[in-house]
Amino acid sequence: MEQHSAVGKRIPQRDAVDKVKGSAIFTNDIKLKGMLYCKILRSPLPHSRIINIDVSKAEKLIGVKAVLTYKDTPQVKFSISPTWADKLPLESEKARYIGDEIAAVAAVDEDTAQEALDLIQVDFEELPGVYDPVEAMKPGAPVIHDSVENNISKAIHMECGNIEEGFASGDLILEDTFSTQAQSHCSLETHCCVAICEPNDEIKIWVNTQAPHALRQKLSYALNIDASKIHVITPYLGGGFGSKIDLEPAQAICILLSKKSGRPVRISNTRKDQFISTRIRHPTISELKFGVKRDGTIVAKQARVVMDNGAYNSHGPAVLLYNNVMFSSLYRVENIKYEGYLVYTNKNWGGACRGYGDPQATFAQESMMDMIAERLNMDPIDLRLKNANNPNEITANKVRITSCGLRECLTQAKEASNWAEKKETKSKYRGLGIASMIYTGGGSIGSGFNYSGATMQINADGTIHLSVGAVDIGQGSNTILTQMAADVLAVDPEAIRLTTADTDTTLPCMGTFGSRVTFCAGSAVFQATNEVKNMLLEEASEILEANMEDLEMKDKEIFVKGSLGVSVTFSELASRAHYKRKKTLIGHGYYNGPEVSDDFDPTSYVGYPSPAMVFATHIAEVEIDPGTGKVDVINFVAAHDLGRAINPLLVEGQIEGAVAQGIGWALTEDLKFENGKIVNPNFHDYKILTIKDVPKITSILVETIDPNGPFGAKGIGECAMVPTAPAIVNAIYDAIGVRIKDLPATPEKIFDGLKKI
Amino acid sequence: MVKKHQIRTTVNGEEYDLLVDPKKTLLQLLRENLDLTGTKEGCDEGECGACSVILDGKVVNSCLVLAVEADNAEVTTIEGIHRGEDLHPIQKSFVDSGAVQCGFCTPGMILTTKAMLDEIPDPSEEDIKHYLEGNLCRCTGYSKIIDAVNLAIKHSK
Repeated sequence: MEQHSAVGKRIPQRDAVDKVKGSAIFTNDIKLKGMLYCKILRSPLPHSRIINIDVSKAEKLIGVKAVLTYKDTPQVKFSISPTWADKLPLESEKARYIGDEIAAVAAVDEDTAQEALDLIQVDFEELPGVYDPVEAMKPGAPVIHDSVENNISKAIHMECGNIEEGFASGDLILEDTFSTQAQSHCSLETHCCVAICEPNDEIKIWVNTQAPHALRQKLSYALNIDASKIHVITPYLGGGFGSKIDLEPAQAICILLSKKSGRPVRISNTRKDQFISTRIRHPTISELKFGVKRDGTIVAKQARVVMDNGAYNSHGPAVLLYNNVMFSSLYRVENIKYEGYLVYTNKNWGGACRGYGDPQATFAQESMMDMIAERLNMDPIDLRLKNANNPNEITANKVRITSCGLRECLTQAKEASNWAEKKETKSKYRGLGIASMIYTGGGSIGSGFNYSGATMQINADGTIHLSVGAVDIGQGSNTILTQMAADVLAVDPEAIRLTTADTDTTLPCMGTFGSRVTFCAGSAVFQATNEVKNMLLEEASEILEANMEDLEMKDKEIFVKGSLGVSVTFSELASRAHYKRKKTLIGHGYYNGPEVSDDFDPTSYVGYPSPAMVFATHIAEVEIDPGTGKVDVINFVAAHDLGRAINPLLVEGQIEGAVAQGIGWALTEDLKFENGKIVNPNFHDYKILTIKDVPKITSILVETIDPNGPFGAKGIGECAMVPTAPAIVNAIYDAIGVRIKDLPATPEKIFDGLKKI
Repeated sequence: MVKKHQIRTTVNGEEYDLLVDPKKTLLQLLRENLDLTGTKEGCDEGECGACSVILDGKVVNSCLVLAVEADNAEVTTIEGIHRGEDLHPIQKSFVDSGAVQCGFCTPGMILTTKAMLDEIPDPSEEDIKHYLEGNLCRCTGYSKIIDAVNLAIKHSK
């Protein structure tokens, strides 16, 4: 195996020292001279017509500097793309969920802004609401968006092979329905931004976004301001999990209030704001039908999915698409039918959330796989091995697989969990469950883009400076991107200066989502650094009078191989380039892939163009308390095909964190609604895991060395969330024979199930 | 106008005479008046522990303590525990163990750990979980935080 100086090393995060000292500046720590504080008036009703908004009393309150309604906005609807645009920063005609933005105030302090909100008089005409997506699809249901028939924002029909013939050839047909609930991202840092409108009309916004470059485009579109006049800067960011990808209405409001008041404005969500007004994981109802042969071969599979969109689109249409792609491409199945509906309701809107539609698909599919294994009297691992995807295959729905370690994940997880022995010696109320998954390991070019840029420059003083548009949201991309660059230049990663996440000083990057940064930004860094490396070698080859291939780099110096005394430093090379040859040593990297084949047709929903797919297997061991129905997860094994681990320490951190989030979704996290109102918008009633609730997690890193990934790496950020819940639910069944088909698996459901046995 | 109260408090070894609004919390005092923004606000209702500081030797959620309660008291925040240029051993253990991801819960985690180790130098795993139960983390799944605490215990022996 080739030797690497920095790649593959367990290096702590380069930002960790700032963070443990408390000196890392997050958006909410920014205080500008003359800064005002903003509060937003939200709809108290789930569905209403806005008749009149009177802000006159609020405007007169001492300390209030600006009040904003839709009349002060360009009234351009936005979404992830103009095709799906359905949301205004401040609503004008209707409010469609409890929390919808109606008006906003900027005042000298938060108390005054809050007091001013109470003085705004809004006349609403209450409309009937609809909260169940199945009800919302029926004729005669309340209409949420005027132009949308049956509240169906997006429908997907995908078929490949011959579904009828497929089912006819099966020895066993199994059908069942699985449902999943809303989950809140719960990043510890709430959404926040600080905007200032400069005298020349240029806007500067510090904002905790996962995608500063994309946000600039979206702000430009929604506010009708030239993108070149918007400067987005992302300080340290306190966790995202998908919640910070969107253009938030609050960000547009903050800019408009700054324009109107002529002063800097900060808006910072309270935890309650965060629960009631930011995106959630889409709830789904999935009706599945599987046809299998006696030997376990899946001959046909079908899904009909209803996805609860909530009041607005955000990423909904793409989340539904991912639900289809991931359901359809896991396992080698020739005959597949998928029918999916994204349906508006008068509730909080769904959005990107770690796994992006895949956890819902995988919960249903992997529960079904266990049910099939039981009916066939087959080991669930053998059933999965029988149907597992292979490297260098194209699936029936035309997903191109390059590297694939699903079989290794299955067998290594089996061994690490002591599966065979534990199944033999199973004790009462204890059980083991397994689930696998497929996901993207490098974003997708399905919408036409998947771009990440990087520049690498070496200055005459020897500084090595890397700039990337990608954002480190806590996952550690700053560390692994500098590890990759350091490896190319054979320097210590600490020797590299890094600039990130600033639209003025970095090349565009789509953002941190879709498990794409390692692959896409990593590819750009690799390319940019290699370009500079070649420049250095060219210069050095002239000075040292040696062929480029005879040169070697170490500690910012270039040597002639075998004669260590003869060398030249990076600094000398950069000086020579700058001052003698009037050349800079700057390399550029730009990734935007993969190439899309001519037969790719986005309207048929086959042929998902991802640069790499990742695979994983999770095995959970649980113990059930028969007296209460409480589930204790006591052991957890997570095997992941991630191409190559650039930094195993940080990879484990991604897996452990995602598994914890997945256990939360499986067992305790449930955003509850009553007539459209969230009734548990706080950490007391919405339970994320504490340090007492997490089991020991054994991570297995399956390195398949992807042919297209930088150093063979693929993404890891989202996928460890995906197969967690079905592994636990399958373990619960193994323990007590109770099959949970609607998440979360609460003690009540388990206790009730036990009584029925 | 609300009548302000005069308090004398010691924060990170430095003494302050301050006039404070009686409804202001210790969290607001630290962040807004003293610019000690290392103390984080995660929920402002005592559920997440991001704002944990040490008040007279005990760890508290500074969002649930009024600023006036810090009168004649000693407060330690994350900015006050490193030793000159060197990190405190707990800070170093958090860095080395990979216990820091986004870093938003980190100051609170470290201060709670410090208060625990000041009280029980050799805690069991159960003690560690008991003390840190009130500090939420959404990134790490806590495994590496437990590693960090154990490493800190090892360093302190």
